[in-house]
Amino acid sequence: MPKVLLMGSPNSGKSMLFNRLTGLHHKVANFPGITVDVSVGRMQAIPEFDLVDFPGTYSLQAISADEKVAVENFERALVDPDVVQVLCVIDATRLEKSLYFTLQVIRECVRHGKPVSVLANMIDVLDTHKLSLDTQGLSAALQTPVMPTSARSGKGLEAVISELKADHAGMGSEYVELPDEQLRAKAHELAHRFGPKGDVLIRNQTRLDSIFLHSVTGGVAFFFIMYLLFQSIFTWSAPLMDAVEYVLSTMADWIVPLISNQVARDFTSDALFGGIGAFLVFVPQIFVLTFIIGLLEDSGYMARAALICHKPLRLFGLTGKSFIPMLSGVACAIPAIYAARAIDSPRKRLLTYMAIPLMPCSARLPVYTLLIAAFIPAGTALGGLLGWQGMAMFAIYFFGMFCGLLVTALVSRTSKDHYNDLPFVLELPPYRLPSMRPLLRNSWNRSKHFVTKAGKIIFAVTVVIWILGYFPNYGTDLGASWLGYMGHIIEPLFAPLGLDWRYGVAILSSFLAREVFVGTLGTIFGIESADEHMAPLVQHIQNSDLALGSGIALLVFFAIALQCVSTLAILAKESQSNSLGIKLFVGYFLFAYVAAITAYQLTNFLT
Amino acid sequence: MSLSLWTLKTGDHCEILGYDDALDEKYRIRLMEFGFHRGESVSCLHSLGFGAPKVYRVSNTVYSLDDEVATHIMVKITPSHA
Ligand SMILES: Nc1nc2c(ncn2[C@@H]2O[C@H](COP(=O)(O)OP(=O)(O)OP(=O)(O)O)[C@@H](O)[C@H]2O)c(=O)[nH]1
Ligand SMILES: [Mg+2]
Repeated sequence: MPKVLLMGSPNSGKSMLFNRLTGLHHKVANFPGITVDVSVGRMQAIPEFDLVDFPGTYSLQAISADEKVAVENFERALVDPDVVQVLCVIDATRLEKSLYFTLQVIRECVRHGKPVSVLANMIDVLDTHKLSLDTQGLSAALQTPVMPTSARSGKGLEAVISELKADHAGMGSEYVELPDEQLRAKAHELAHRFGPKGDVLIRNQTRLDSIFLHSVTGGVAFFFIMYLLFQSIFTWSAPLMDAVEYVLSTMADWIVPLISNQVARDFTSDALFGGIGAFLVFVPQIFVLTFIIGLLEDSGYMARAALICHKPLRLFGLTGKSFIPMLSGVACAIPAIYAARAIDSPRKRLLTYMAIPLMPCSARLPVYTLLIAAFIPAGTALGGLLGWQGMAMFAIYFFGMFCGLLVTALVSRTSKDHYNDLPFVLELPPYRLPSMRPLLRNSWNRSKHFVTKAGKIIFAVTVVIWILGYFPNYGTDLGASWLGYMGHIIEPLFAPLGLDWRYGVAILSSFLAREVFVGTLGTIFGIESADEHMAPLVQHIQNSDLALGSGIALLVFFAIALQCVSTLAILAKESQSNSLGIKLFVGYFLFAYVAAITAYQLTNFLT
Repeated sequence: MSLSLWTLKTGDHCEILGYDDALDEKYRIRLMEFGFHRGESVSCLHSLGFGAPKVYRVSNTVYSLDDEVATHIMVKITPSHA
């Protein structure tokens, strides 16, 4: 299959062009280093061509892991006979930084006889500000076609397609012989000669930055934005969650009585609605969180947040660039681990990997919500301003982040490794109005991924748990079931936390994925309760005589333990070492267990 | 007399004189790719204070550098052209 490469400097709009030309929906965001792996898609207009999207690179001298991916793939592509064209994307509004890399790409392509064209992207931004780029002059100087494009509006893409269809004669270029040093000087000269004149764009950016990066208003804005983020997770998604819950319980009340077979009816009500339904309720929350984080990224604010957090994070051995992975970790550890690739310093990347599993991810949310609803009274303090449950949620979130920073602070202070360390250099992208459709699509995909990926595991686990708990006595005595038998064997392990065997079984099953805990408990209590109408799981827990100390111990345990098979798998792949995942798994389990026992004893002592 | 880029305050302009030897080679190259060449004029757009990275403009692009980098770039303050 003939291939066309899409290369260019970070944040120049490659992925957005890729999406336009292939009809796919890959992640686009206003932060350098979003794409971290090459991806391939069939071109819609020329179905016999594959388009390959590359991670952004500042030059062919890679200094970070994602740049290395791009450079190595590029070197392979140069000698690959399938590669028929190279498209080099430059940001027309920031010519100089893109041109040096472009010249390097042109030089290598000419050396290897690969046709190359330059796409001057973001031309719409120049148009709105009545600026222009001398594409003809630049094209003559580069001895390469230069086409103005806008990935956002679609302008100029037909020209790109006809260029790809055209026959490419061999090109000559004066750059073949030039070393990097001279290409750098050349880029500088060309940018000044052909680039847009004036600095309206920079002035716009500077005006907003003088608010967001001001020593007073910048700090206030940061805390306000973070406050809105957490509000959105808990308050704004609540009506959606209630709606899902209502639909599910209405469906259960309607469907379950229609099933005549006793076993099938019990299965539908306990395992399907009790187990899987319990976790579906959390999908809206994941959607909202992904959307808000995407909004922050695409507006350009995330880069400012990284800057603001750099100094405080450095105290804990991290960098400002750790902020985005760690914040994404509040949604899910998996995209967070991928996002950490954009951290150029290997040492800080490793430390960030250590902190990510302790970030309060959304899979913990169902567990937290359930336990807090069961154990913390719904009352308010300060005349309704502060809800106890909300404060408990805030506290447990804060506790997770605190543990993460504690770990990195300790590790970074006890092990020094200057060789693998790099200082902080970050390009600040311009502010942009976020494009809503890709954001909504991305949030939708993430939620769908959550349902299908986690859903499969949860379905399998609930079915197994249900069978083990239902037989051999048809749900009449859970304690005497196969599950009860197994639970009693592991009970001693959880006795120091004041937990009985039912919770032990739920914790064991949650090592596959945390949210399975809720499903498993739902199934267990579903079997146990004989009445026809399903009571909410919260009530079952409240009726199960669990001490407050055990509730808190459970919260603490879930805040720390690394109970997620997918995280371990991705961690092994990304860190290129199996040992990191295993060490973190064992280490965080012991940490969680000891901390939970301490919390249990402490609560019992105080109450 | 040469100062480091880090000493610039918001609104200051300067000309780059070079890099000191303590800066890692690959970083020197990366900075030059960003446009921090000898002789290039750079201005400091924002400094948050509290030791946070400062924001510099070079050519038409804006970068944020922290003290670990900026203290190794030697500059000469130039009067601001209004
Ligand atoms: N106005 C405008 N914005 C664009 C255009 N193309 C991309 N963008 C925006 O630029 C930002 C970066 O786009 P991406 O497609 O993620 O850039 P990329 O080159 O893939 O970036 P990396 O993967 O990080 O290297 C996003 O905020 C896009 O919405 C364009 O033609 N016009
Ligand atoms: Mg990309």
